[in-house]
Amino acid sequence: MSGWRGTKFALIVHPELRVLAQYQTLLSKNGVTTVVARDLPTALLAITQHYFDIAIVSSQLSEAGDGWPLAGVLHLVFPGSYIGVLVPGADLLTLQSAINSGVQDVYEITQSPQSVVRAVVAAAKLVESNKPSGHLQ
Amino acid sequence: MVRKPSLLIVDDEPNVLLTLKLVLEEDGYQISTAGSFAEAEKLMVAVGNFDAILTDLWMEKEDIGLELARSASKLKPRPVIVIFTGYGSPGNARAALGVPVDYFALKPLDVDELKRVLNRLVVANTAERRWQS
Repeated sequence: MSGWRGTKFALIVHPELRVLAQYQTLLSKNGVTTVVARDLPTALLAITQHYFDIAIVSSQLSEAGDGWPLAGVLHLVFPGSYIGVLVPGADLLTLQSAINSGVQDVYEITQSPQSVVRAVVAAAKLVESNKPSGHLQ
Repeated sequence: MVRKPSLLIVDDEPNVLLTLKLVLEEDGYQISTAGSFAEAEKLMVAVGNFDAILTDLWMEKEDIGLELARSASKLKPRPVIVIFTGYGSPGNARAALGVPVDYFALKPLDVDELKRVLNRLVVANTAERRWQS
């Protein structure tokens, strides 16, 4: 599902403004309306105010690993949406956190925002096409 | 009468199978067990409609639990899929993420956490099934 005008909404949560700006620009070029948050309270507020089709969350907001519970909340609130997490390295425990939080994929922070957005937009389209018809999410 | 949620537990170690069966039966689930991938596939066809499938990763072959998870993910309605393993690696965890698996647990299992997570996932999945029908 998208906004009632067919607009897709994305939430980007990252502590660095520079990174948020990069993702916002790239997603906007792909026709996605983007809401950004630098911290957990702002992200939670945004979740109460929009329906997000896509979320990209840093696994580290104010301390290591505190992005995972947020990703889990996003999965519970928007179960049909695409959630990607930016991680320092995709080791076993990171991937376990991703699965157990209901995240669709993880992207290493060394990857360029361009390649992440390309992958996210393609994957979100796939998630959308796999949704059952008549499902309200 | 309320139907008990049904689980299929798959592991080639009989002790693990028996322990999980006893623990989860006590938690109110109706349990079927299989000692191999092949046996589990037969049960999925014969019994079908499990609320959750919990499988070991390594049985007859390395990472064969992933094949079972892929088969289970195609079932309609889709059951909750849990993989547990003593041989977790970034490779098989990434493959599990791609299935996708709902929960990935490393052995030795924390049984209390497994019970809590399973309850949450089964309740959510049942609600979604009702919503879709």
